[in-house]
Amino acid sequence: MTTQASHNAMSSSTVDSASGAWLAYSAGLPIVVGVLALMFGWHIAVGAKSLPLSTVLNALVSYDATQFDHMIVRDLRLPRAVIAVLVGAALSVAGALMQGVTRNPLAEPGILGLMAGASFAVVMAIGVFQTVPTVWLPWVAAVGAMVTAVVVWLIAQWAPGGATPLTLTLAGAAITAFLGALISVAHLLNQETYEQLRVWLAGSLSGRRVDVLSVAAPWLCLALGLAMVLSRKVTVLAMGDNVARGLGVRTGWLKVQVLLCVVVLTACSVALAGPLGFVGLVIPHVVRLFIGSDYRWIVPYSALVGGAYLLGVDIIARLALRPQEIATGIMTAMVGAPLFIHLVRQRAS
Amino acid sequence: MTLRLANDWVLRLPGERLSFRLPVRALVLALLLTVALLSLIALSLTIGSYEMSLRQVLSTLLGDEVSRQMTTVVWEFRFPRTLVAAFVGTMLALSGAALQNVTRNGLADPSLVGISQGAGLAVVALTVIWPSQSSALRPWVAFAGSLVVAALIQGLSWNRRGGSSIRFILMGIGVAAFISAITSALMTYGQIDRAMSALAWLSGSINAAGWPEVQMVAVWCAVLMPPLLILSRSMSALQMGESTAVGLGVRASVIRYALISVAVGLAAIATAAVGPLGFVGLIAPHMARRLARSGVGIHLLLTALMGAFVVTLADLLGRALFAPIQIPAGLVTAIIGVPVFIYLLQKSQAKSAL
Repeated sequence: MTTQASHNAMSSSTVDSASGAWLAYSAGLPIVVGVLALMFGWHIAVGAKSLPLSTVLNALVSYDATQFDHMIVRDLRLPRAVIAVLVGAALSVAGALMQGVTRNPLAEPGILGLMAGASFAVVMAIGVFQTVPTVWLPWVAAVGAMVTAVVVWLIAQWAPGGATPLTLTLAGAAITAFLGALISVAHLLNQETYEQLRVWLAGSLSGRRVDVLSVAAPWLCLALGLAMVLSRKVTVLAMGDNVARGLGVRTGWLKVQVLLCVVVLTACSVALAGPLGFVGLVIPHVVRLFIGSDYRWIVPYSALVGGAYLLGVDIIARLALRPQEIATGIMTAMVGAPLFIHLVRQRAS
Repeated sequence: MTLRLANDWVLRLPGERLSFRLPVRALVLALLLTVALLSLIALSLTIGSYEMSLRQVLSTLLGDEVSRQMTTVVWEFRFPRTLVAAFVGTMLALSGAALQNVTRNGLADPSLVGISQGAGLAVVALTVIWPSQSSALRPWVAFAGSLVVAALIQGLSWNRRGGSSIRFILMGIGVAAFISAITSALMTYGQIDRAMSALAWLSGSINAAGWPEVQMVAVWCAVLMPPLLILSRSMSALQMGESTAVGLGVRASVIRYALISVAVGLAAIATAAVGPLGFVGLIAPHMARRLARSGVGIHLLLTALMGAFVVTLADLLGRALFAPIQIPAGLVTAIIGVPVFIYLLQKSQAKSAL
């Protein structure tokens, strides 16, 4: 029992300590929300023209169209900050769900190839139809992510030993390399069409795709809600398929629901900001350090911390090499890859 | 004698004082591969935007001046480029074979375990920070970069129970992601024209190869090949496992470090010449093994020929398929290599799991 303490923390805890934990966890939420709000304000304040926080607050609360600073905040910086929060939340929740369902600490939309699939689908759609209506963009990405997820899973399933963390990760890396090469070839064959996609393919928040935001945001929020609903059963599923089945969870159906949820979250994120790797890996692991293994808490905390994290990373990406801007995807990989290495090392010992 | 090819002939001197195996099948295949490679090179010289017949190419190569344009096209553009492709393929394939033998891991490849990315980062840093010194220092800087990364991965994936092969690969994927991110950041930081030249190089392109590159890869090939051949005997012992190798009188740890250094050197020089070309070191040794089961020495020969063939073909396909647009050979090798990788993943032993 003790060796599996982390998995069984919830089932072994008594009613008293569970309600104590409940109190502690809900008390933590306002703090995280506060941090998120602070990062949000800071993110809007910094840039080519630094604005004091009070101006930012004024612009958000009582917008004055005659003031230039207010226009900067409302039209230029606010969309970017909103996209950062939504994408950070979506990717973190997607990563948390994938880790829970596959019981794979390395699972993440980027590592398992879903992001490459979504990007590839968008690139191909633009290559074939020249222009894709914005309304369809998230759906094209979703189809790509879905197909890739299934293919990666099948490859890993057929490997000796089944879909272990190792085979899943290797299959994901291989598919990512393959689709990346195809994207580059498409790019070379049709340079003018893809020139506009260059920045987006590196994973960047600088595009400020407001039109995509209005299309993707409702679906993204819907999927986040679904993730909250599913989180209770995911906690049970994380204890193993047999345990979950014994406790009355229809595991097959649950996995399909989680897959749909993850695909929508990933597709909306990719449509908004391009492929941002490792966000879904880092945040759930950090959250789990404090929260434990109850997905009813991991999911909301991942969403909030993920939003704050991507805001912070984007601030660094904008400030580190001023006046140039590093693509946000580069920064997330620089932070996330060492954690990936650490996790691989830790599993071995 | 029937036409059926026996795997081996055994030659015996009178009195059986001296006898040795002659791996006929492998040698015949090596000969066939050589012929195929030479024909491919000839074909590659005739194909391009300037049409030439095989006869014209051959007489130009032999020194007759058929026409001034032909001499320029063959001697200045196509021939050095094809030579570089063949040499680079050989080096990457041998590097992959050495790595696979040392790590006893069929999935090892210089581009998968981060060695190519290390060379890439070092060269991009040199191009962006110190462009005037770029070409002379390139091989050395690439070698240093790859060596550091190889040491890093080796150190990270080693623990008390010894190294595990799949962990080695996963570690390589993580390190490669990290290094690629730094490389991209450097290119954002650098001036745009320097960054663009680095970008073309990073996708593994043989477009720009000329005689200086031919000289570099040929010299280094000549330097690094003899140690590899000398080490190949110990390599065949290492294939049976470390303790068996030690029992057979191989100084396993020394051989391991020597082989890794040679493998890193080969991959680094190839990368310095044309940029990272993925998956060649993975495909070539496996195809060679599939063609003929043989001792390590012949296997290395077949691997080298196969690598040269694959990269020359990839370069030819890349520039001929969508002419006048040139697809870098690195993209072609990745598109060919990933299905092979997945196939090998299916075949890999479950026991090598973490």
